Amino acid sequence: MPRKKIKFLVGAFMIILAIGFLIGSTINSTSTYFMTVSELHHNGMDNYYDAGLKVKGNVVDGSIQRDPQNSLDVAFRIKENDDILKVVYNGITPDMFNDGGEVVVEGTLAEDGVFHANTLLTSCPSKYEAEKEKGKTHPGSLPDFSGAQKPKVSPETLPKAKI
Amino acid sequence: MNALGEFALQLGLATSIYGIVCYLMAARGNRIDLYLSADKTPLVVWACVMMASIALWKAFLTDDFSVEYVWAYSNSQQNVFYKLASFWGGQKGSLLFWTLILTTYMVIVHSQYRKKHLRLVPHAMAVMLVMTVFFLGLLNFSTNPFELIPLPPEDGRGLNPLLQNYWMVIHPPTLYLGYVGFTVPFAFAIAALITKNLDDGWIRLTRKWALISWFFLCMGNLFGAQWAYVELGWGGYWAWDPVENAAFMPLIVATAYLHSIQIQEKKDMMKVWNMSLILLTFVMTIFGTFITRSGLIQSVHTFDEATLGFIFLGFLGVIIAFSVFLIVKRLPLLKSENELDSFLSRESSFLFNNLVLLGIGFATFWGTIFPIISEAFRGVKITVGPPFYNQVNVPIGMVLLALVGIGPVIAWRKATWSNLKNSFFKPIVTAGLAGVGLSFFLPFTNKAEILAYITFIICVFVLTTIVLEFSKGARARAQISGGTFIEGFGSLVWHNKRRYGGYVVHVGIVCIFAGIAASSAYSVDAQKVLKIGESLELGGYTFTYEKLRVREASDVKTRIIASMGVFKDGKRVWTAKPEKEFYKEQNQPVSEVSLRSTFIEDLYVILADFREDETATFKVYVNPMVWWMWFGQMVIALGTIVCMWPDKQEERRRLQRVRRQEAVFAAGPAAPAPAQQE
Repeated sequence: MPRKKIKFLVGAFMIILAIGFLIGSTINSTSTYFMTVSELHHNGMDNYYDAGLKVKGNVVDGSIQRDPQNSLDVAFRIKENDDILKVVYNGITPDMFNDGGEVVVEGTLAEDGVFHANTLLTSCPSKYEAEKEKGKTHPGSLPDFSGAQKPKVSPETLPKAKI
Repeated sequence: MNALGEFALQLGLATSIYGIVCYLMAARGNRIDLYLSADKTPLVVWACVMMASIALWKAFLTDDFSVEYVWAYSNSQQNVFYKLASFWGGQKGSLLFWTLILTTYMVIVHSQYRKKHLRLVPHAMAVMLVMTVFFLGLLNFSTNPFELIPLPPEDGRGLNPLLQNYWMVIHPPTLYLGYVGFTVPFAFAIAALITKNLDDGWIRLTRKWALISWFFLCMGNLFGAQWAYVELGWGGYWAWDPVENAAFMPLIVATAYLHSIQIQEKKDMMKVWNMSLILLTFVMTIFGTFITRSGLIQSVHTFDEATLGFIFLGFLGVIIAFSVFLIVKRLPLLKSENELDSFLSRESSFLFNNLVLLGIGFATFWGTIFPIISEAFRGVKITVGPPFYNQVNVPIGMVLLALVGIGPVIAWRKATWSNLKNSFFKPIVTAGLAGVGLSFFLPFTNKAEILAYITFIICVFVLTTIVLEFSKGARARAQISGGTFIEGFGSLVWHNKRRYGGYVVHVGIVCIFAGIAASSAYSVDAQKVLKIGESLELGGYTFTYEKLRVREASDVKTRIIASMGVFKDGKRVWTAKPEKEFYKEQNQPVSEVSLRSTFIEDLYVILADFREDETATFKVYVNPMVWWMWFGQMVIALGTIVCMWPDKQEERRRLQRVRRQEAVFAAGPAAPAPAQQE
């Protein structure tokens, strides 16, 4: 192999190594665990105190409480099956943050079992299909004027006799 | 009409399979009859897909809620524009839309090149038909958009209000035009590998396709950023969400490809590299679709249909295996006689640019799939968020930005000391002076601010090299022709559209870098609960909450509008009117951001919450220089148009080249193209 070629291979290799090192070192310092509420309970909550953590679950109906003095302080609970996690959050909540909605909270778990979220994400509008399967109204869908309280489930999923 | 659409999809699938078989048999067996038959298939397939699309559009326009897809994404009150745009609002329609673009591209390529490039076109068509078969297969057997509801409901669910803005009409089609476009260069690359036409013919042939696709992808990404920024109300434009990454990665790899093909055209080097890059670009476009359809990676906008993901993954595997096999098999033919001479040369600066771009691409890829990898190997899902991408991609991006300045002016082969001095003395001095000047104005309290400062210096350096290139060239032209500087400038750009169009694109990139640096380092925000008459201070502005109005916009919609006077140095500069819109029978509001954008800074006001007593919560951002990103986008668009403008000289060069080739092939024994006798 000619010397020039070796020189370039070494040069390219060094660049790749540098980028690889940058990726490797950063990924450890910035990564967060991602799990659902049940997984968190299952893995043992005490293993994750003060670790970067992202938790997914559905907002428990009626659990959203805002501080009357400062509506930016929000406390709520999220659940999956029977596992429940208390969350506190300070900040603006997304428009789609609502009872029953799926949310992902990112933050840290305190030793009293309360999750201190610094970001709160709700699922995006294009996530229609799963909710349709569950027979739920999409939180963003327009109101229906054709009949009083007509259920907006996919007619496919209903037995024909009911329609 | 729905039955017709469904039938058209079936017919399209059958025809494209027939087309593939015919094209391949015609090419292998030298059968003219088969070739003539195959030659009609692209048009037939396109007509079928078009028919199906028209049928679906018609179902949307006529409120045919017996079609499940129409019921799910439209309703009778929806505006006509959104009825048309609902076409790509969901999984099934977006796959049909993809197929429509793919077949449209195929027909254009077919009519463009059928007569001119007989050796490559049959195989390229076969490759594109294979892609069509894949999508039509999905549409026929897995995601039929014409699925009916036995007892049609009276009204549909409607498109989500969050999607009901004009970006929904612009952003997805732009992105799709880009994604799908890379099928064309990929198809020709595969055709070149199969037929052993391994000179740069396929690259020249598809350069414009690559450029157009790159253009749409780039615009699509920036439109997406703009949509997020002006509509979603979190004050940012990019969150490194997997779906954003999915659109970003092909763009980055395609950028590397567009640069490295110049080396192959000029120096006949890097053939394997270019083949690999176009393969990688194409794979990344499919991978992007895989991410959005699989639900495997947690993202804020997935389609959540787990089954399709694995079909895409399987398809991806087949493409990669086949293409790698072909490239390896043709390795001996892809050897280049030329080699790199010196680190300080344009060739190697292009090589570094490629490595750096791929580095950004790989870091993004790794971050995106890291949850899957960590779950597979460590049993626990670990995600990385914006901090990871920013910490890795910002330094690499800054090196890339510096290369934007170095690459175009450093000498070919080997840069001498005097060449370096001539090219870089002025830019470095200017950048140094700018650095000293800026250091008096800018704060240096944290890492982001220092990085932004360095980025600004590099931006000045790059801009200076570009300006010098333009002025040197224009002055030389003006001297030769005896005209003015302006005339020289015009003639310079006109006669070297590719080169100077590229420089214009670079100027746009510099603007975007500057905008990103400034807005991420110096952005400030505040949130506060205010009573009427109270105010908050931010970034030298005073925001005073003045009133809250309720307006019944229609029977369906109620708007709550807050007014905020914005003062600077005691003078009123603007009235912010953030609002919340409520839809009847629903408790979920839609926030409307109030935005004042200038080239210095954006004022960005959100009405977060309000109560009966008119107390309201506001979130306010002051984001510097975001405007520069959208300006940069327009500059990029301008530059790309210059690059793509038909060039007579280039056309002449191409014709000469084709004639030369024809002569060689006419003399040679192995002329495989059956249609030569046409």
